[in-house]
This record gives sequence, C-alpha cells and structure tokens, in this order.
Amino acid sequence: MNPALAGVALAVVLGAIFAGSARSARAAILGLIVTMVGAPLLADPVAHPFGLAARLVGAILAGYLLWVAGRGPDARTGGSHVGWPTDAFVAAAAAVVGYGSHGLGAPATGPALAQATGFALAALAVVPVVMGRDIMRIGIGLSLLLGGALLVRTGLGGTPDALEEVLTAGLMATLGGAVAIMAVAARNDGTAGYDLVSSSGRRSRRALDARPSERP
Amino acid sequence: MSLVVFVVVAFAFAGVALALRSHERASFLVGMVGLLVVVVSAVAMDPAQSVVIGGTGLVTSAYLRLFLVLGSLVGLGLAIAGVAAGIRRDAPAVTLATLGAAALTLALTDARSAVIVATAGGLFGVLVTLVPSGGRVGATVGIREARAVVVAGAMAIAATAWMGRDLGQLPAQPVVFGLAYLAVALAVAIRFGAIPFHLWAARLADAVPETALPILTVLGPASLAVVALAWTDASIAPLSLDLGAVRTVVLAVAVASIVLAGLAALVQDDIEHVVGYSIVGDAGVVLLALAALDPEAWAPARTWILAFVVTRSAFAAWAAGIRVAFWTGRIPDLGGWAIRSPVLGIAFALVAVAGVGFPGLAAFDARAQLVDLALDGPFAAIVTLGTLAPLLYYGRLLVIGLSRSDRAVRPAAAGAWKPRILRPDMTAPRAWLRTTWNDNRAFSTAVVAAMLGVLAVTTAAGAFDGPAAAAGLPPRVEAPGDPAATLSQTPDAADWPYSFGASTQRSISRS
Repeated sequence: MNPALAGVALAVVLGAIFAGSARSARAAILGLIVTMVGAPLLADPVAHPFGLAARLVGAILAGYLLWVAGRGPDARTGGSHVGWPTDAFVAAAAAVVGYGSHGLGAPATGPALAQATGFALAALAVVPVVMGRDIMRIGIGLSLLLGGALLVRTGLGGTPDALEEVLTAGLMATLGGAVAIMAVAARNDGTAGYDLVSSSGRRSRRALDARPSERP
Repeated sequence: MSLVVFVVVAFAFAGVALALRSHERASFLVGMVGLLVVVVSAVAMDPAQSVVIGGTGLVTSAYLRLFLVLGSLVGLGLAIAGVAAGIRRDAPAVTLATLGAAALTLALTDARSAVIVATAGGLFGVLVTLVPSGGRVGATVGIREARAVVVAGAMAIAATAWMGRDLGQLPAQPVVFGLAYLAVALAVAIRFGAIPFHLWAARLADAVPETALPILTVLGPASLAVVALAWTDASIAPLSLDLGAVRTVVLAVAVASIVLAGLAALVQDDIEHVVGYSIVGDAGVVLLALAALDPEAWAPARTWILAFVVTRSAFAAWAAGIRVAFWTGRIPDLGGWAIRSPVLGIAFALVAVAGVGFPGLAAFDARAQLVDLALDGPFAAIVTLGTLAPLLYYGRLLVIGLSRSDRAVRPAAAGAWKPRILRPDMTAPRAWLRTTWNDNRAFSTAVVAAMLGVLAVTTAAGAFDGPAAAAGLPPRVEAPGDPAATLSQTPDAADWPYSFGASTQRSISRS
C-alpha cells in the first residue's frame, strides 16, 4: 500500500465525516473542501497535471461558493443525528468493504484505496441525501455522493484522462454553485435558515411568479 | 471545430446572462441573442468532424446536428413564449447551458465522460426553480431536483466505470452485468421523472413555468438517454446473457410510465401537470428501448427522442398560450378555449397529431417498433393501446375547448387571439413598441405554439432526414490519437463505442 495515498485517503474520509456531522455550516463546508481537494489525488498514477489542476480549481471554486453561502454566525445545518463516532464507524465499515471488493469481481486498473474511500464517502452521503431537511446538508450529501462515485470510478477504471478531469471539475463546481444559490435563496426568505419548506407529501406551495398571468 | 464553437457560444452566453441576472432586461436580451446564435451555430455545424483530446474524442454526427438544431429552435420558441407569459426567470440562460451540455454529451466518445457532462447539464436546471428575488419554495424544489440528478448521475458514473474495462475474468457475470444495466436504465428513468420516480418531477411542475419544463425534463435527460442506449447496445446487448429479472424491472418502469402517466394526465386539473405527465408517458417509450436490449431499437428510439423533444415543447408552449390568453390553467375553467382562440386550437391539433400520430408517421412507426421489440404477445397489444392514452387527455381538452363556457371566463381582452397593431407613434416609438408587445402577448404565444406544432408534426413525420440520422452510429473515433478519424457506417457490434473490447465480449459469450 502506498503510504502517501493512504494518508490522502484518510484525510478525505476525515473531511467527509466532519462535513457530514458538523452543525456549523462553514465547518461542514471546510470538511467538504478537504474531501473535494483530496479526492483527485487518490489516483495511481497521478492525474495529468492539467487535469489535476482543473480538479483542484473546480473543488476550490465549489467550496468558495458554498463558503459564501455559509456566511454569518447563524448559518447552521442539520449535522449528524447519530454523532460523528457512529459516522466514523459507518465510513470505516464501508471502506473495508470497498477495499476488500476492489475491482468488484474483475481486475481493476485503479488503486484499491480509491474504491475504499469512494465506498466510505457514498456511505456517509446516504443519511444527508435521504433524510436531510435543509438545503446545505442535502447539498453536502450530494457532493459526498458524487465524490464517492467518482472515486469508485477511479478505483475501477484507473486515472481519468485530462479531458474527463476537466469535465469532472466542471461538474463539481456546478454542483457547488447550484447548492450555494439555493442555500442563499432559502436563507433570504424568512428566518428558517436553510430549512426546506415543510411538506406532507402533498403539492408544494406554488412559487409566486410561476404563473404570472394568474395574478390579478 | 464547429462543435467547439457551438459549445463555447452556448456556455459563454449562458454565463454572461447568469452574471447579469440582477439586471433582468439585459440578462434576458443576452439569453435571447445567445439562443439565436446557437441556432445559427447548430445549422452551420459540420456533421462529420472529430477532435481527440487526451484519450477521448469529440465527434459530430448528423444526429447530433439535428438534435441541436431542433433543441435550439424549441429553446428559442419556449423562451419567447415564456417572456410573452411574463415569466421572469433564468430560462434562456439555462436553455443555453443545457444545450451546451447536451452537445458535449452526444459528441463524447467515452460514456464515462458523457454521463459526467449529462449530470452537470441537469444541475443547470435548478436555476429555473428560483425566482429572481429568492424563495424557499423554489429552493426546496430545486434541491430535490438536484438530488434526483446527482443520484442518477452517481449511478450512471459507477455503472459505466464498472463496465469500462476488461471484464473477461469476471465471475457471476449475469448478476454484475444485470446490475450495471439496471443502474444505467434507472438513472435515465430518474432523470425523466418516470413512474415511480416522478414525485420530484411532479413538484417541479408546481414551481417551474410550463415553458421551462421541457428544458429540464426532456432536453437534458434525452441526451443521457441517447448515451445510455449506445452504452447498452455496445456493452450489454451483445453478450446474450439472461437478464430476465432486471429487464423485467426496466420494462415495469417503462410500462407503468406509459400507462399510468396517461391516466394521471387525464385526471389532472392543471394544464402544467398534464404537460408534465405527458412528458413522463413519452419518456416511458424511451425506457422501452432500453428494456428491449436489442440494437434494432437504436434507430427507432433515437427517432422517437427527436419527436419527443419537439412535440412536448410545443405542448408546453400551447399551455403557456392558454394561460396568457385565459388567465388560468385550470382545465374545468377553460370551456370554449378552442373557439375563443383558433390559433391555439390549430397549435393543439398539431401537437395532438404529432404526439399520437398515425401509421406512416416516422414517430408512430418508431414507437410501434419499440413496443414490438420490447414485448411479446398480449402485453405488446396492451402497451400499444397504452401508448395511445394521450388520445384520452387530448380528447378531454378538446371537448372542453369546444364546449360552452359555464362561467365568465374570457380571453384577456376581446379578440386577444388576433394581432393588434396600433398606428405607429413616431413621437414615442418605445411606448408604441411596449404597447404593441403587451397587446399581442396572447397572440405571440399562440403563434409560437403553432410554429412549434408545425415543427413537431414535420419532425414526427421524419422530415430533416431524422430517421436516417437516427440510424447512424454513435460518436466513435476510428483510431485513438488519429485526428483524421472518421465515423464508421458499418453497424457491426465491434464498431460500437463505449464497449469493453471484442476479446472480452467473445470470452464472456463463450462462458
């Protein structure tokens, strides 16, 4: 096992645990940034310099946009309902499964650590994505899920080429920007922070200008 | 390369329009100019160019060009209809970004890269859910849409990576290939909002103007569906494995979408939900193509997708026209709409003809062929009847449109369906232009809907060489690293892109 890769993998998973469990929005975003910056380094051989630079720029841009959306001391997100130790155990179990099943039945061309980290990130993303009740928490969960899928892709198929890295950087930045815009929009509307509109499964309240011709 | 020009133009105008979103008029103007420019760029695109970047290629084709031309035209039409309806959203910018992403998705020769771009393209759509001044309702709908897009994207990324290598030594192949196939097919289903993954799409119809609905739930997902079809035909179908169980799941989703969405559209009281469920129903036909697991489904599926994009966009424009003309979208309150607005009546008739079709129409034949390929015996007959379910909701709308209104619902102004041109006032030309535009909003929307209806009928009839373009192979570079690579026209399984190599296919088939 490459110790440098193992160190990066550990940092990525720790960042994800922090992102998923912190209640301060900016602390969670900081953890996410660590994860997004570290994920492209989990490849063997290391990605093409241009592609790697693009991934880092994409990760930092996504993190910056979320950071802006998390401005203010009252920017709170849901955090983990079960506490970070439980999240850490879940991530560790998923990483073991990912490492042990490297290649998923066939020889893989990427590092086992990438697949292990990808599984850990995907496992940590499940609760925020499925149970999240605020935009920032769901957005962080989506970033972790996407990061996990991309790491599994690296673990199975090897280091992506430069163009794929550039496209991936665009995807991560787009996701960060989209979540940031929605988080700001929600926060500017009332005092409920990033919370979703409460829904009983019935239709949502209609946006005011969706049907402008209906207004008197 | 002409594709690069298209992509750069689309993203550049989208970026500028979004940067100017606090200046409503400037943003809209940039978006509209951008849409005009991408129409020209799409028409001028060379359908046989390729460029290799790293290990991945970008290849243009006749189908890509036609998809972008039609997508740009419907995007322009929907943007005009949207502004006539008074909608203040980022729809032109989102349309441009979606078109740029669709162009890249369809041109990339590597499925792993293509699904990444398709996912990014879907995320641009969340901007339409937001009103310019913010709003928790829009953000809630938007994050749910983002969740559907990202979950679908993660499934597709993992599945294409799983299959994108030498799998000759893989044990338990049917299970593995079945799971990968299921993941990609369900990713497409989620993106289309197919039943039972339709809840987010239904909520989207509440919060998004009907003119933006086809951009989010048709145009973007359609490009992912084309990639999924190519990937399935290249990686799964040639293996001749017994995938009965997972294929049944995909078939169930497809059939449920076709039949139940048709019934759901029939019982809705709001026209935007009728539009939304009609999209889900037509998407079910695309899923039938994925369930067929037969390369024979390739050409009819892509023919159907072209007609699907244009027809549902025309239907959405018609719905916008109804709202502008009658100030409501509640179907029970629309008594006599077809009599009061003949232009909208013509648009509706064109949409109905294109959507349902008749034997001899390319889209109708393509749909019938897909049903035959995916199903046998009585099920095929039942699903064929299900594909005619749009007749029910079109019929309901027509009956209401021809009935006498039982309440005082009138067009926005008497004779609003006709153009009204005041005598030009050269002393105040801007005021004259503004007044003329405001007086003709209903007429403009109706005319746009009728024009898109004509485009829908011609596309469904197989005009613009649609079926021939649809029968062409997916983007493929003949020899990696060869910038002069050309498209092969031989429909041999080994020629399909996204596959994991002929040796792997042979070893798996033997086992």
